[in-house]
Amino acid sequence: MSLDKRPSLPVEPGEDTMQPSSRIPWWRAVWGDRMGRVGLVLVVVVLALVVVGPMIFPFAASSFGLSADSILQPPSGGHWLGTDELGRDVFRQVLVGGQISLLVGLSATAIAMVVGAGLGLVSGYYAGWRDNVLMRITDFFLVLPTLPLIIALAALLGQSVVITSLVIGLTSWPQTTRIIRSQVLSLRERPLVLRVRSLGATDRRTIWVHIFPNVSPLIFANLVLVLAGAILSEASLAFLGLGDPVHVSWGTMLHFAFTSGAMSRGAWWYVLPPGIGIVILVLGFSLVGHSLDRILNPQSRGAR
Amino acid sequence: MTLLEIKDLCVDYTVGADSLRAVDQVSISVAAGEAVGIAGESGCGKTTLGLAVPGLLPANATPTGSVQLLGEEMIGRSEDDLNELRWTKVSFIFQGAMNALNPVHRIDRQILEPIRTHEPNTASAAAKERVSQLLELVGVSPSRARSFPHEFSGGMRQRVMIAMALACRPSLLIADEPTTALDVISQSQILSLLGDLQREQQLGLLLISHDLAAIRRTCDRVVVMYAGVVVETGPTAVILGRGTEKRTAAHPYTQALIKAHPDLAGERVLAQALPGHPPDLSIPIKGCRFYDRCSVRKSICHEVAPTLRPVAGTAHLAACHLVGGDVT
Amino acid sequence: MSVRYLARKVFSLAVTLYAVASFNFLLFHVLPGNPVRLMARAGHLDPAAVAQLKQLFGLDRSLPIQYLIYLRDLIQGNLGFSYVYRQPVTTVLGPAIRNTVLLLGTATLLTIVVGVGLGVIAGARANSRTDTSVVVSSLVLWSLPTFWTGMILIFICGVWFHLLPISGINTLGYSFTSLGHLVDLGKHLILPTLTLALVNVAEFALITRSSLVDVMSEDYMVTARAKGLRRRVIVWRHGVRNALLPIVTATALYMGLVLGGAIQVEAVFSWPGMGLLSYKAVLSRDYPVLEASFLIFAVAVIIMNFASDLLYRALDPRVRQS
Repeated sequence: MSLDKRPSLPVEPGEDTMQPSSRIPWWRAVWGDRMGRVGLVLVVVVLALVVVGPMIFPFAASSFGLSADSILQPPSGGHWLGTDELGRDVFRQVLVGGQISLLVGLSATAIAMVVGAGLGLVSGYYAGWRDNVLMRITDFFLVLPTLPLIIALAALLGQSVVITSLVIGLTSWPQTTRIIRSQVLSLRERPLVLRVRSLGATDRRTIWVHIFPNVSPLIFANLVLVLAGAILSEASLAFLGLGDPVHVSWGTMLHFAFTSGAMSRGAWWYVLPPGIGIVILVLGFSLVGHSLDRILNPQSRGAR
Repeated sequence: MTLLEIKDLCVDYTVGADSLRAVDQVSISVAAGEAVGIAGESGCGKTTLGLAVPGLLPANATPTGSVQLLGEEMIGRSEDDLNELRWTKVSFIFQGAMNALNPVHRIDRQILEPIRTHEPNTASAAAKERVSQLLELVGVSPSRARSFPHEFSGGMRQRVMIAMALACRPSLLIADEPTTALDVISQSQILSLLGDLQREQQLGLLLISHDLAAIRRTCDRVVVMYAGVVVETGPTAVILGRGTEKRTAAHPYTQALIKAHPDLAGERVLAQALPGHPPDLSIPIKGCRFYDRCSVRKSICHEVAPTLRPVAGTAHLAACHLVGGDVT
Repeated sequence: MSVRYLARKVFSLAVTLYAVASFNFLLFHVLPGNPVRLMARAGHLDPAAVAQLKQLFGLDRSLPIQYLIYLRDLIQGNLGFSYVYRQPVTTVLGPAIRNTVLLLGTATLLTIVVGVGLGVIAGARANSRTDTSVVVSSLVLWSLPTFWTGMILIFICGVWFHLLPISGINTLGYSFTSLGHLVDLGKHLILPTLTLALVNVAEFALITRSSLVDVMSEDYMVTARAKGLRRRVIVWRHGVRNALLPIVTATALYMGLVLGGAIQVEAVFSWPGMGLLSYKAVLSRDYPVLEASFLIFAVAVIIMNFASDLLYRALDPRVRQS
């Protein structure tokens, strides 16, 4: 779930080349799906740029020339994407900023998945009163508006990569819980589970060894979508000035761009690249996530 | 007068790169006031055949051949032209009225809809009056006209469907498994209703069903289909037996079908299921399609596909080499 | 709809509202510990005033008492006192709420009309090229950060080509006739509304499309075709009418998420609504305002959910029975 976007979209583009859901590795299945293929390419390209880029392009990140002719300069030979309001090279910032955006996104997603899938497993497996209570709580959190909540938490708790990840993660889990729970609810009625339990398997074992492997594809598909949302959430949060001021993400870059008046100076090289980075990364993950969702749910929608 | 004349109809379904012929060279005719039953297992093509008549096939199905309704050719007709004939000349009653009625519209609105569409000059009061009459005709109290479909039982919903089908006074009624989703008593009531209506209003009826008892009871003639082709056709009394007339089905498949549906009032025999399943229609078949499951097959059956030929020179036809002296 | 059902729903609504109010208390009074310390940290107070304020805010009382005081104040409509504006919070909220409602109302209308329209076009021609392009563009739009979209629009319409005003709700320093004022307001409304609509259209388009595709394969659609109805009638009267239900559900979810979008858009365009208010409150650590905004947002979403729930029941006769 993200601050200003929906948790998941129901997508069925045409011409799908669905593979049989046999033992092929997920990346091959996604590659076979046109939508998934585009998504994978986008993600890999951005990952490569962001992870490997800073090593390949070691421009001096700090060229703090504060004279009027070094700040907010358009792209040139020396600075491929120009300079920011402090004269720093924008290109390098974009490469490094991507790392932070990705890092926070991944951490937040990890937290959301652990909490979300965990609660979903417990709630769906035990059913009964535990399920009722957990679902009430989940529904309550679903109703709370996300960005206001995140803003409030960040304002109260402070600004750092850790806190941002925590805050985003702890507001993104409800959607996952519902999805996992409904799947587990149907799984627990399957003969396999009943058989295993009648042989005396403990609850923990049943959940881990038998139910979890069957739910993990679903968890994975959901994870990718949550990741897309988390990256968007981090960007929004950082833009509003609540990100980590030391570890600058793409969102933080845009915050500085906005508040330093780069807009009225027409500094498009400062505004476009971080935003495009966010869009490509998020689009890539959401394409992959929806492709996975379709592969794992062949009976969903329109496939009658 | 011939209402419906189907000649050499073929329907091909395209799925991806593959093509499948669901209906192969089928010819059937229905006269005014006549009830014709189409019998066969699931997947034999009978529903496809039924849908082809009002042009209701899905986009990936291509019909070829001729389907003439009251002299008008239906195949190749534009959607607008088809719309003129739909419901006014031919109506369709679907199987399982559970979902065949729109769940969010009241039933009076659903019955009024075709009237308003096809006869827009009908006065509002007259139209509403007709709705009440139709409901009474099928045994539904007109006071329930403002109800929603989910407020009716299955049998009542099917009655509503029949009332709706008669709204524009069609000449031909096609009913696809109208009783399959119902309990036994409702089945009987619906069949009686259909039979009565058909006789009173001199409608043509094309009854598609895998239930031989339903066909035996309601239809004058029967057409037995298997794997997309007609394997036997003729008067119901002759093939399925009716009343005191003994049945003389000639095709092994029909005989097997009958054995699987013993008559409640007839001799006490065990129902015998027919083992195996119909052939895969995406693979071309050389000889008789029933070869794999036939208990009396000969070597010629594997080589040459049998054509429909008369049994003892009557209107009873069967597509079997054992009929008509190909083989001894 | 039976009175008993309505009563039950209203009771459930009241419970939820109470839960949110309590959660708000937890968030802003319990979590950060001592609010006075927070204020001191943010530099609003001199040390001498701290003790006085502690007593004023009842912070020298126990937590449960504080909670009761909080509830009492809430019921009396007292939402606290803003540090920054030096006014009761309720005074500050009034005009802000109006402006946000104006913005969100317009944007939502546009979003739903365009989104559902696109979704119907795509869903009625599933798997065609039109369909694919609608789906792909929806996915791309979904990936756009709201604030960044606003910034791009500012560049295009405000900085490079001076087409539209890019900030505020009216042009300062001018006095217009009533009509002129409305027009000026309208011009200021365009870019923020467009930003919100662009980004959120995707959700409605995709949900409508998916819902319609599901509905198109239902039996009653074939019945409609068999009756000889025109295609447009079939798609709208039978198809879309049945596809509405998931769209209503989507609207409820959307409400919770569009508030986040509103905050970003108001920040970017300096639109003086609840979003900008919250944003400024965060920057200046004006906790009473922040707390009140959060409460208002949450209450708004809950009420919208309630309304859409009722609408859902009105649209689906099958649900009414239970």
